[in-house]
Amino acid sequence: MRRFWLPLAVTLAALGQETELRFPPLGPVTIPKVETFTLGNGLRVYLLENHELPLVSGLALVRTGNLFDPPDKVGLATLTGVVMRSGGTAAKTGDQLDEELENVAASVESSIGETAGEVSFSALRENTGAVLEIFRDVLGGPRFRQDKIDLATTQLRSEIARRNDDAEALGAREFAETVYSKDTPYGWRIEYGTLARIRRDDLVAFHRRHFFPANILLAVYGDFAAPEMKARLEALFGGWDAVQPPVPPFPPVRGKPHPGVFLAAKDDVTQTVFSVGHLGGLLRDPDEPALEIMANILGGGFSSRLFLRLRTQLGWAYDIGAEWGAAYDHPGLFQVSGSTRSSSTTETIQVVLQELDRIRSAEVTGQELETAKEAALNGFVFHFDRPAKTLSRLLRYQYYGYPKDFIFQYRKAIEAVTKADVLRVARQYLRPQDFTIVAVGHPAEFGKPLSTLGLPLHPIDLTIPEPAAK
Amino acid sequence: MSLRARVALLLCLLFPVAAQNLKEFEKRVTEFALPNGLRFLLLERHEAPVVSFHTYVNAGSVDDPSSETGLAHMFEHMAFKGTDRIGTRNYREEAEALEAVERAYDQLEAEQAKGPPAARIEALQDQVRAAIAQAQSYVEPNAYPRIIEQNGGVGLNANTGEDSTEYFYSLPANRIELWFLLESQRLFHPVFREFYKERDVVREERRMRVESSPEGKLMEMLLATAFAAHPYRQPTAGWASDLERLRAKEAREFFLRYYVPANITIGIAGDVDPREARRLAGQYFAPLPARPLPPPLPTVEPPQEGQKRVQVETSSQPFLAIVYKRPGQNHKDDPVFDVLSGILDQGRTGILYKELVRDQRIALSASASATFPAGRYPNLFLIYVVPNARHSVEENEKACYDILDRLKREPVAADALARVKTALRASLIRQLDSNAGMAVQLTFYRVNYGDWRKLFLGLEDIGRVTAGDLQRVVRQYFVESARTVAYTSAPKGEGK
Repeated sequence: MRRFWLPLAVTLAALGQETELRFPPLGPVTIPKVETFTLGNGLRVYLLENHELPLVSGLALVRTGNLFDPPDKVGLATLTGVVMRSGGTAAKTGDQLDEELENVAASVESSIGETAGEVSFSALRENTGAVLEIFRDVLGGPRFRQDKIDLATTQLRSEIARRNDDAEALGAREFAETVYSKDTPYGWRIEYGTLARIRRDDLVAFHRRHFFPANILLAVYGDFAAPEMKARLEALFGGWDAVQPPVPPFPPVRGKPHPGVFLAAKDDVTQTVFSVGHLGGLLRDPDEPALEIMANILGGGFSSRLFLRLRTQLGWAYDIGAEWGAAYDHPGLFQVSGSTRSSSTTETIQVVLQELDRIRSAEVTGQELETAKEAALNGFVFHFDRPAKTLSRLLRYQYYGYPKDFIFQYRKAIEAVTKADVLRVARQYLRPQDFTIVAVGHPAEFGKPLSTLGLPLHPIDLTIPEPAAK
Repeated sequence: MSLRARVALLLCLLFPVAAQNLKEFEKRVTEFALPNGLRFLLLERHEAPVVSFHTYVNAGSVDDPSSETGLAHMFEHMAFKGTDRIGTRNYREEAEALEAVERAYDQLEAEQAKGPPAARIEALQDQVRAAIAQAQSYVEPNAYPRIIEQNGGVGLNANTGEDSTEYFYSLPANRIELWFLLESQRLFHPVFREFYKERDVVREERRMRVESSPEGKLMEMLLATAFAAHPYRQPTAGWASDLERLRAKEAREFFLRYYVPANITIGIAGDVDPREARRLAGQYFAPLPARPLPPPLPTVEPPQEGQKRVQVETSSQPFLAIVYKRPGQNHKDDPVFDVLSGILDQGRTGILYKELVRDQRIALSASASATFPAGRYPNLFLIYVVPNARHSVEENEKACYDILDRLKREPVAADALARVKTALRASLIRQLDSNAGMAVQLTFYRVNYGDWRKLFLGLEDIGRVTAGDLQRVVRQYFVESARTVAYTSAPKGEGK
C-alpha cells in the first residue's frame, strides 16, 4: 500500500493580515492495491475489492473504435456497440435481458466510441454471478437480432434529422470535424446513406474482428473476495478461445490546418456559439503540463483571463473557457469556446483573438501562475477520492500504453512549470495563422459582420443529405 | 436459481436495507442547529481526506417578486462577488461608490418613468456608466472564487431552482476552516459589486438556456401555461424585461428577507470531525444575527377548469410535453407518483420506452418525471416525448393517452411493480459513496420533509404502494381537465 502527502498548506494572503488560516497537513491518501493477472487466452484482468457498499461493477475495455468504420458504412461501430446489448445473446433476447437485469436492479451496457469499445455491468452483490454471465455473453456472444438492428437504425436516423437543432452540439461537431478534416475518419459523420448500406453480417464481422480475449482489458470493482472472483472469471472466460490477429493501430491524424471563419447560420437563436482553435497534442508530451497551465490561465475557471474579460468585465458571455485538450493517443483539440449575444459576436471573437495573442506575447504574472499551479496541486487529492478512480486510471494507462505512475510524473511536471515555460509553449504551440473559427448564430443580427475579422469566410452547409427512397 | 426466483429473494433482502443502512448511517450523521437557527448536517466518511459542502437556502424563484423575476438567480450570482474583505481594494470608498451607482440609477429610472420626451436620459445613462466605472476601480475581480480554486476546491458552483438556491464545492479535508470562513463571510457581508455587469451575464445565460434552445423555450411556455397563478409559472431565469431592469437594492432586499439563518441548512460530508466542525460552526456562524423567517407564499393555484394547449414555433424537429396537476411533496400520494413514474420510464422496461420507442418506434425517447418543476407546492407530473423522424406529435400524444387509459382500466402487473421498487432501493444504495451527493440529499430531505432520515424511510412508503394505489391515482389525477400539452412545431409556411 503506497501513501503520499500533499505539500503543507499555505496561509491566505488574499484575506488580509488579520486573517491567517494555518491548515494542518493533509491526512494520508490511501492508494488501493489493484490485483492484475492474465488468463491463458490473453484476457487481462484488474481486480479491486471495496466493501463499503454491497455492489459489484465491471468494465471491459476493448481495442476498437469508430475510426475503423469503412468509409461507405460510417456508423458500423456505433451500431455494433448498441446492438451487442439490445440484440440479445444466444440464450436470451435483448428484451428478456432488459427484464432479467432490471428485476434485480442490475445493468449491462455496451458502446463503441472513437478509440475504444466498452461493455460494463453493475449489480448488487448477491446477483453478481448471474449478471456476470450475461455480461460475458454480451461481450463474447451477441446475436445481433435483426429487429434490434432496425430499431437502432431508426434511432440513429432520428438523430441525424435532429443534428442541427442544438446550436452548441452543432458547433462542437463542426469544429471537431473541420479541424480533423472532413475527409479523414476523425471527421466523418453518420449519414442516412452510410447507415442504409450496413447489414447484419457487417455487425457480426466487426464484432468478431475486435472482440477477442487478447484484445480486452477487464476491470472488476466492489464487494467480492479477490480469490473467489479470480476463480469465477477463469471459469467464465477461460474457455473463450477466439483468436484474431492484433488490431492495427488507429489511423494517424493528418495535421493539415483549416484556417478561416466557418459560419453555420440559424435563425431561431439569440446567441452565437463559437469555437476558436486548432489541433492540440498528446497527454504524454513533455510540454503538456505547461500547456495545461497555459490554457487554465487563459480560460480555465473563475480566475482565468477570458472569464475576467468577457464575463466579469464586459458581461458579454456567460459561457467561456479554454482547454488544451490533449488526448491519450492522438492530438486532441485546443479550443477556446463560448457563447455571446448575436450583436456582440464579432467583438467577442476579437477579444478571444487578442487574449490568444497576449498569452503568446508576454509572460503571465506570478499570481496567475501560482493560482493555476496551486489549484492543480492542492486539488490533486481529488484524483484519489474514490478507489474506483485508481482502477479506472490504471486501465486507461494500460490501454493507451502509459506508465503506471503517470499521474505522479504529471504532478512533478506541474510543480516544475515556470512563467518562462508558459510563454515558450504558448509561442511554440499556438498558431494564430492556423486558427479554425466556427460560429453558429443568426448573422443578420451580428452587429459588426464577421468579415471585419479579415479572415476567409466559409459558409457551413447544414443541408442533411436526404435518405434514398426505399 | 432462476432470476425470477431471485427477485422474490432479493425483495426479502432489500426490505431491511433501508433500516440497516439507516442504523449504520445514524452513527455517522450529526445534526445540530445554532441558536440563530442555522442548521448543520454532518456525515462522516473517512475513506479519503476530502470534504464536500452544500448550502441549501430554502428560497428560490417562487420567491421572486412578480415584477422582479430572475432575482433569486441574480442573487446567486452575486454570492460569488466577494465580501467587505474579499474582492475589494478599499471597502469604505467602494461602498460609497456603490451607493453613488444606486443614486444615479434612481435618477435615471425616475426620469424614464416620466415618459417621453426623453431629453435627459442619455446624460443620466452616462452618469450611471461613470458611477459604475468609479465603483469598479476598487474591485479585485473574482477574488472570492480564486481563493477556493487556489486551495484545490473542485466542483465550485451554485444552482437556483424554483424552491431552493444551493451553493456547493469540495475541498481537501485539511482546509475545512477555509470553507467556514468563506461561507460565513458571504452570508454575513455580501457586497453587491459589479451587479450591473453580472446582470448582463445572467441575461446571456437566459439566451443560452432558453432563447436559443427549442426545449428551453418549450418548457418556459409549458409552465407559463399550466399555472395560472402560482409562481411556478415564472421562469427561474426571469422574464427578459424584468431581468434587464433588476437593481442591486432589490437583490439586497431579497437577501435580507430570505437569507436568514433559520432558512439555511448546511450539509458537510466526508473526512470531517464532528466536534471540530461544531466548534468552527460556533466560531464563524453563531455571530450571524437571528432574523424572522420569511412569511409563507400566499398564492394558491386555483383549480384548473379545462385542458390547456400551447404551441411553440421553432424550426427544429418537434418535442412534446404532457403534464397533469398533482399535489405537493408532502401529500400522501407523493410516493405513488414516484412509483408511477418508474412504471412509465424505468430503464428499458418502462411502459413508455417499451411502447413508444421499442415496439411502435414512433419516438426517439420518452420519459416521465413525478415532480416538475419542483415539489414544495402542488406541481406537475410530466411526460416528455421526442418524436422519431416522420412521426408526429399527434401520433405520440395519442399513444401516451392510450397508455394512461390502460392504466386506468387494468392494474399494473406485480412483477413490474416489484421491479420499480427494487430499482428505487438500489438507486439509494448507489448514491451512498458520494460525499457531494450525500451532502445534497441530507439537506434536501431535512428541509423538505423535516427529517434527513426520510431519505431512507421514504423507501418504506414506496414499499407500501399497491397496484390499487396506482390505478386510483391515475384515475383521479390524469384527467383531461387537469392537463396541459405543449409542443413545438415548424413556423407556418416553413413546415414540410
